[in-house]
Parts: sequence; C-alpha cells; structure tokens
Amino acid sequence: MKILGIGIVFNRGRGIDSLEKALHEGWQAPAGVEIKGRKSFAYKVDQPTISDRTLLKNMRRADKLSKMAVVAASDALAGSGIKDLNRKRVGIITATALGAHVTTFDFLDDILEYGDAGVSPTTFSNSVHNAAGSYISSALGIEGPTLTVTQFFFAFHSALQLAQVWLHEDRCEYVLAGAVEQYGDVLGFVHDTKLTPAPDGRIRPFNLKPAYQVPGEGSVFFLLGNKKHDNTFCEIHNVSINADEKDMPQADLDIIDTDGLLEDETVYTRCVSSAVPAAAYAPLFGSMLSGSAFNCAAGALMMRKQKIYANPVTDNLHDLNIVMNTVPCNIELIRCIRYNCFNEKAAVYLRNARD
Amino acid sequence: MIRITGFGAVSAAGGNVPETLDAFRHGMRNAGPVTLFATPLQYPVFEVKHIPDECYLEGRRTLSLALIAADEALRDAGLGHDLSGFRTGVCLGTTVACQLNDLEFYQSYRSTGSASMIPVDRYVKGNLAEFISRTFRAGGPVLTVVNACSSGADAIGVALSWLKNGLCDIAIAGGADELNRIPLCGFGSLGIVSRELCAPFDRDREGLNLGEGAGVMILETKQSAARRGRSSDLYVAGYGSASDSYHLTAPRPDGAGLERAIRNALSHTDIKAGEISFVNAHGTATQDNDLVEGGTLGRIFGTGLKMLSTKGYTGHTLGAAGGLEAVFTAAALREGWIPASAGFHNKDENISLIPVRERTDIRGDYALSTSLAFGGNNAALVFGRGEK
Repeated sequence: MKILGIGIVFNRGRGIDSLEKALHEGWQAPAGVEIKGRKSFAYKVDQPTISDRTLLKNMRRADKLSKMAVVAASDALAGSGIKDLNRKRVGIITATALGAHVTTFDFLDDILEYGDAGVSPTTFSNSVHNAAGSYISSALGIEGPTLTVTQFFFAFHSALQLAQVWLHEDRCEYVLAGAVEQYGDVLGFVHDTKLTPAPDGRIRPFNLKPAYQVPGEGSVFFLLGNKKHDNTFCEIHNVSINADEKDMPQADLDIIDTDGLLEDETVYTRCVSSAVPAAAYAPLFGSMLSGSAFNCAAGALMMRKQKIYANPVTDNLHDLNIVMNTVPCNIELIRCIRYNCFNEKAAVYLRNARD
Repeated sequence: MIRITGFGAVSAAGGNVPETLDAFRHGMRNAGPVTLFATPLQYPVFEVKHIPDECYLEGRRTLSLALIAADEALRDAGLGHDLSGFRTGVCLGTTVACQLNDLEFYQSYRSTGSASMIPVDRYVKGNLAEFISRTFRAGGPVLTVVNACSSGADAIGVALSWLKNGLCDIAIAGGADELNRIPLCGFGSLGIVSRELCAPFDRDREGLNLGEGAGVMILETKQSAARRGRSSDLYVAGYGSASDSYHLTAPRPDGAGLERAIRNALSHTDIKAGEISFVNAHGTATQDNDLVEGGTLGRIFGTGLKMLSTKGYTGHTLGAAGGLEAVFTAAALREGWIPASAGFHNKDENISLIPVRERTDIRGDYALSTSLAFGGNNAALVFGRGEK
C-alpha cells in the first residue's frame, strides 16, 4: 500500500511544506492557554490555518475538528496529483481517540443552561463522532465507504490496517485514511490532572520518566492506494498491532511516539537499540492519542526526501542513540512505534515504494 | 464463506434471543416512559429492564449490555470466556460509549474548575471493543466503529473483511448502546422523536423512539469452526457500504448511496436481487428515512418484497441497531419466519412497499439488513443459509 498524498494541519501550519519547515526549524514554544484560571500550554491550530472559504463554503456551522479533518483530507487528495479519481471508489477512514469532545461539551452547556428541551440541533449533529468523516465525504464528493473508528492509542494503526484490507479486497481503489484530534480546555484539565505537564511547554521525548506532555491538535490524512504514482512518498510495508515482528528487518530509523501520554515511557527502551537511531517529533505538534499519524507523516516525508531530520528536543536522560543533526541519508525502512498503557506495541513500517 | 457460529441479543424485546423471538411472535412492544435518568422529555422509550448481576458495571451501561449479548453469543458458539487459544478479533459499534458525556463531571468542572477523575477513568477504560477484547482475552485485532446509526452493521462488515483476509479466525462483532440523556435531548431537538409508539413506513408515522441494547455475532472461518467441531448453516454473504456525500443529518433523497451499498453487498457473492427472501430495513419511522429507504428498496427488489422494521419492538438503538438487526435477520433465516412490522397500519402512498402486517413464513436462503446513518453512511449486510 502506497502513500500517494499527505495532508496535514497542525500547530505550525497547513500542508506538507509546513511540516518540512517545522522539521528544519525545530522546536518552538507552544501557546500559553488558561484553564479555569490556571496557566498551561497547548499546541493549538490557529483559525487562519483552516480558513479556506472555497473548500469550507458549505461548512459554516461545522466545528474546528471537522474543518481540520476536511482541510487535511483535501490536501492529501490534491497533493497526490492524481487526476480523474473515481470518487465512488475512494473510501474514507477517520481515526480519532476523543472525537468531537469540544462540541459534546458545548452540547452539555446547552443542556445545563437551557434544559433538555432547549438544546441546539446543530450542536448535537456536530457532536456525533462521525461528523468529521461525513464532512470530508460531502466536501470532497467522495461516495465510497466512510468509516470513523476510535481507540485510545491505536486508532490510527487500526485505520491503516483496515485500509490495507479494503484495498486488497478491491472494496476501494483509494482510501483516505487519517487522524484528527482537537484541543479543548476540559482536555487540558484532564491532561494536567492525570499526567505530567511540561513546565516550560517543552515535550522531552527521551526523558521517558517523568514523561512530559503538552496537548496538541490537528489532523493528518494519507491518500493510500496500491498503484505507484508520480508523487508517491513511500509504501506502508507493514502495520503490526500487538503482534510478533520477528520476521521484520531492522529499520534505518525508529520514530517513537513518546509524548507524555503514558506516565512512564521507559517501555520504549524495549524496542529501541543502539544500532538504530531514534527520533521523536511530538515536540513539533503536541501530545495526541493519534499522534502516530503525525510521526508517520514525518517518516513518509523523510523517505521521499531521503533525509533524516534532527530531533527537535534532544534532552537524553537514558543515553539513547538519537538523531542530533539533519542529514541526507539512504533510507530504506523506517519504523514508527507506539505503546499503549497496557505496554502493547503498534508499529508502522514505511519502505521505499516499489512498482 | 464466513460462518455465523453464534449470536446474542439484548433489548427491550428480550434479555436474549429466545425471549426476543417470543416477543416478536406475540407482537409485544415493551416501551414506556424514561426511568433510567431524570428528564422532562415525555417520549416513550424502549429500555432494557434487567441487567444480570454478573454483567452489571457501575456507570458503564453500554458495556454491560455488550457483555450480556457477547456472553450469549459465545455460549451459542460453544466458546468459553477465555479466547486466548484462538485468533479472535473484536469489532463493535457504538455511539454513546465513545463520548465523555458525563453531565455530573462536566457540571463540576464548569462550576468549580475541578472534577473527579472517576468518570474519566471509566471512559478511558471503557472503549467498547477494547473492553470486550480484554474481558474475553481475545488477542486479535480490535476496533470500535463510531459511524453513528450504522456502527453495528459496519462493525460486522469490518470483521467480515478481517476474517476473509486472514487477520483472525474468529470475530466478535456487532454493536451496543445504552439509552442516554444526551442523545435523547439531541434527537428531541431535531424534531424526529415521536410522542407515540413508532410506526415505521406507516403513512402517519411521526418519528422514532429511542431504545437501547446490544446485538453480537460470532463470525468464524469455516476451517476454524471445523477445527472446533462446530458447524453452522448461517453465514455472512456480503457487506456493502457507501456514502451519500450529501448532508450531515438528512439522507440523500434519491437513495443513491443506499442503493450502491446494497448492490455492492449483493455483488460480493453474485446474489441477484430476486434471491433475497426478505429485508430487515433500517425503518426508523422518521419521514425522511422511511421515504428514501422504502423508495430505494422498492426500486431494487420490486413491490412484492417481504420487508419489515424491527424498531417497533426495540426502538432505535443507535450504534446497537445494526448489530441487533443482523442477529434478528440471521435468526429469522434460521427460524423460517419474520414478525409483523410493529406499528404499521396504513400504506404511505409515497412508498411503493408495504411491510408485513403479520408473522410471515419465508422461503429462500438469503436476507438483507440495511442501516442508514447520520453523516450519510449506508451499510448493507447480506446473510445466507445453507452450505455455500
């Protein structure tokens, strides 16, 4: 399965060029946010980033989650450069851990303020978990299967696995698979209460314990297909979820999803080795349960550019072999790794695309 | 073909499949006012009246319902509660269980800036498919589908793909949802909830009734079932899904998305429309759904089609609906009859089809279950009976 196009919306902008620029520039302090009078940090997407009057012309009432998803999905489609896609043969799989929680809380505001009979139907409609996927379908004219899936850590991996199956059984010719998460103050409150907030807004991916988090938001979509096209980034060689990887070759780079969403991330020392350099790019986009999608986008870009980007934050408490400089490099295989709170592992293997 | 080696169901119609079939047989409609939470909304709802102690989970009603149905399905399939010796996937659909919509938690946060983390912990540990997978030590792929009202049907479709592509040998698939204040308020605000008992496809229908429940199937490759010494003459013949690409809440008026989903499901095993012995329709009893669905089914299958909606017995159970109706469809194929489409009295002149008015014997080896969802997704599942 090839990655034919990538669309991304995150704290540092919109589009794959913004991701490349962020990878070159390294870490920048996220915005300060206030949560019920307390100061904290969040990697938020600003409104101009998702202001696209043409694309979003019929989405005035949609929430930010849906707008981020539509923009990312549209860019993935456009970036592929594929003309005359049969949109009845394109599927959509939207992965999200928390979905439209901000709009859900808006709806709860309605109930608390106006009572059970005085709530807004528009807010309710937009709080339904598959609203973002639905907007992608209608904004882009896609009429294939449209599915929204949720899990707390591996939703994106499961979406990729399902995309592989859909393509294999010819249910679709292409699949737009991606992830979307939104920041809200309730989420910030939960993060800061249950996890360790980074005191200076700097996620330190190689600290591992304590593992610092700063919530993020954004969306990444990948246009996936089995045939190679001109703009192909790379291929997804394998997606493994809690499975034996002993037959997989050693990667040239391990991208790890350390972002402070596990209280103790030392479990990652099980999978990294001194022989393979490790990278982690969460300091560029923030801590998100679907953060693997953003790291995979970075990995796919590196495959295309044949370049490894320096880690944005290099504090290295455990003396791991980490990438310190941005360098051109022959890369054949990248492994993107995520652990969940049960110490189970998911991995996406990116490989140079073959015909 | 992927066999159905077990199924389980819980809804207002019954705490298990035999009870449900009994309710169908006798035309029992167990609706009443809301008792599960305080609300001034005066709509009839279909509540599950009893949750066995061994399945009761404080504050996690959807999971409790899923456990009841999964337990029945596993027993029906001759499987125990420890699936660690098998390659078992879990794919379940829901709507309520995927959201942190705890009013008490939110009210506390809103007014004081702080709140107990107990509801958050419940939520984080309450991902439907993950919970069922861990409870039964399933070990295979896990996915919770949150595709609004087609979630349960789509979950069965995903599990079918997993099995056909070798990701697992057995799958627990279906849907579960509890009756919850938040969607009741939401659906009420949309003006599509009836103050009377729902009347799917009826000329005078006034909207849906909400319900709750869970419907779970055990799907299995033929080889896996044979290894366990099990056989079943029921199977999932096909699944199709297509998007309207039209509107967030309204179905596409021409039904093109639903038609594509149905034709796609039929094409997977080269089944002709004329071979479908009956359709268990989504049939919510809203004006728009029934008009579009009735028109589309009539166009594909002709006006002689035997069809019904079971929502007159269960209410609209949202993420559970596709799972429950899949179980009812398969059970009807096995039993050889379908119940009267509860609530239907008068033909709508704008819909060419008439649902069955009484218990009706069916012949034939194939049946279809359809699901239409908020967001414009359409799903169709074809079930078969026999040795194919």
